Amino acid sequence: MEQKSYKDKLISFSFILPAILVVGLLLFFPVATSLFFSFTSKHLIKPNYDFVGFANYVKILNDSTFWHAFFTNIKWTVVSLAGQILVGFTAALALERIRHFKGLFRTILIIPWAFPTIVIAMSWKWILNGVSGFLPNFLVDIGLVQEIPQFLSSANLVFMTVVFINIWFGSPLIMVNVLSALQTVPKDQYEAAEIDGASSWQSFIRITLPHIRIVIGLLIVLRTIWIFNSFDMIYLLTGGGPAGLTQIVPIYAYNLGWGLKQLAQSSAVTVLLLIFLLGVSTLYFRLLNKWEREGA
Amino acid sequence: MYSVKRVVSSIVTVFMLTAILAGCASSTGNSGTTTTQTPSENQTATNDQQGNSSSEPQELKGELTFWHSFTQGPRMEKIQAIADSFMQDNPGVSIKIETFSWADFYTKWTTGLPSGNVPDISSALSAQVVELIDNDAIVPLNDLVERIGQDKFYEKALAEMTSDGNIYGVPLYSNTQAMWIRKDLLEKYDLEIPQTWDEFYVAAKTITDGENGNAYGAAFPTGTNDMLATRWLNQYVHSTGETLITEDGKANLTSPTVIDGINFWVKIYNEVSPKDSINYNTLDEATMYYQGKLAFDFNTGFHIGGVQANSPEILEYIDAAPIPRVNSSDPEIGVESNHTPFVVWKNSKHPEIAKAFIEYFYEQDRYVDFLLSVPVGMMEAIKGATDSEIYKADPIVQQFQNADNVLKQMLSGSTSLGMDFGPRPEAGLLTSQRVIENMFQDIIINGSDVEKAAKAAEDKLNELFQTVQ
Repeated sequence: MEQKSYKDKLISFSFILPAILVVGLLLFFPVATSLFFSFTSKHLIKPNYDFVGFANYVKILNDSTFWHAFFTNIKWTVVSLAGQILVGFTAALALERIRHFKGLFRTILIIPWAFPTIVIAMSWKWILNGVSGFLPNFLVDIGLVQEIPQFLSSANLVFMTVVFINIWFGSPLIMVNVLSALQTVPKDQYEAAEIDGASSWQSFIRITLPHIRIVIGLLIVLRTIWIFNSFDMIYLLTGGGPAGLTQIVPIYAYNLGWGLKQLAQSSAVTVLLLIFLLGVSTLYFRLLNKWEREGA
Repeated sequence: MYSVKRVVSSIVTVFMLTAILAGCASSTGNSGTTTTQTPSENQTATNDQQGNSSSEPQELKGELTFWHSFTQGPRMEKIQAIADSFMQDNPGVSIKIETFSWADFYTKWTTGLPSGNVPDISSALSAQVVELIDNDAIVPLNDLVERIGQDKFYEKALAEMTSDGNIYGVPLYSNTQAMWIRKDLLEKYDLEIPQTWDEFYVAAKTITDGENGNAYGAAFPTGTNDMLATRWLNQYVHSTGETLITEDGKANLTSPTVIDGINFWVKIYNEVSPKDSINYNTLDEATMYYQGKLAFDFNTGFHIGGVQANSPEILEYIDAAPIPRVNSSDPEIGVESNHTPFVVWKNSKHPEIAKAFIEYFYEQDRYVDFLLSVPVGMMEAIKGATDSEIYKADPIVQQFQNADNVLKQMLSGSTSLGMDFGPRPEAGLLTSQRVIENMFQDIIINGSDVEKAAKAAEDKLNELFQTVQ
């Protein structure tokens, strides 16, 4: 009996072995390499390097540019996430209510998510161009502003502009997931609440939210990580400028690794990022677990 | 049930988090376009691996990977046609051409070199040649240059690719910076072609003010994903006879002349330029000129092709002029040139084929035909190539004779950016690290004091220079 059980285990293991190998090679190897390089003097091109202990971490943590990029990153993540949740949630609630052309509207609203980032970034750069862009010139034409607004180069506008584009880009994902979750809420609970005289707001707070909060929680975890690590959108729109106003940590790491060719320092930055995001994710998961226990 | 959910959630999270690190350690993907021609599957090299050609002609056999950054249609087609022709003449050879923008090329070779993922042969920029030599990535080509004829090449171009007596690049073409003007806009505002920087400011401001957003006198580009602000500052500084890198390899951003130059361009940005130009890279800046939105720009003869493709209706109004000076009595000297060479990579399994292909490229008619894919834009690297009747008969060459003369005048006396005192790796850092672009953005956006910002940028550059000294 024991022999059979061992055989079964072996067969089971052989089935998952390819997946373990793929994950191991494609994911954990690069991670381990980054971790290793972060303790060395590895240059992007030069083959020789030395072990330098925590010197890269000390240098990064004493660099004011890193901290500026870090706090810009937090601001970028919090504002983008809040905006995406708000817009995505509102769109999902609206779609849940409408009776006609629901599929059509859902398709239209998902469009931003369907395009590659490069297309979106270049399109917005073209739309917001400070000389010939449609939107700035339109605002002048209708008399809303007198001078062409410089959405991507003004110190006052650039951060909120990239955040707006990120909200526009990321909201559809929230919308689709929340919409799916909304469709799982038992309708009889709403009917019972209505009979008991509950208002729409009370139904939303007492019935809708508790049913979908786990989905929203998971979305928040994923989106936090994705937004925090997002590199392409900002890099393509502003390159982190002007004057570092939109420089977030991934761009800082890229400039270190591929600009200055200091791969070791760049690796140290990504390890720090990993530690920070693991901490944030742990907090999120504790909250999610609490909600699950309450719902159980 | 919920423990399963927790496990799945945790795995997804760890997957996402580790992806951050994976991005740092893994090599980049192939973002270029690839065309492969394989007339023969036989990949055995018959010549010796050192690339020395023997006196007996031997059949060449093997596969070459050729990276180039000639992304414009006509040049790409010409390169492909020459490669096809070479393969037809050498049936045992196949040439795989991969095309990248200059920026992508830099990323490709810097990330590919440690793993040996580099081509047999490629184009390069002058400053990159120095970096490639510094990283022991390319081989000397003295024998090849000798075969083609060393005296056929311009001495200055070869000098920028020479280290310890070894020639590491074979100049393919040169180009040089000049001031590009819109004659119709100058005429509209009754302005002369500016000879000095003060006249440049007055003319540019007059046009910006007069055009009310329809066009601008100039756009000062300071985008940190390019090196245009460095180039423009160098133009001002070089026109006075000073340099941004001193003879002893130090950065110079704090001399009175350079401070004047920084103040000058900040004034141009504030009073003349579209504000969006703070993020402009080469393409953004050139597009403004191609669209007829700029009266003045600084670029090479490639501007002719750009305007011809985008706004042919204004082609008759564009021309090149010498770069302004501080005083009109100062000599009209060239500022910046680039000599684009072919290089052969140390990793190549078939350096003899690479050299044979390069030699094939330079045969007279074939080479002139290549230059004519961007007439006036690509200046001859082989002396007298553009004296041929075929070249002179080209309609663009005929239309832009003045521009051609100006460019030739600007080429003499000019050097690659930062190489005023010879090829040096500091030049690559000056243009690739965006220190000057960040300095300008800091001054413009944060209102930082010019002298303090210049000192900080100079210190940062000197710190970077120490890594290659």
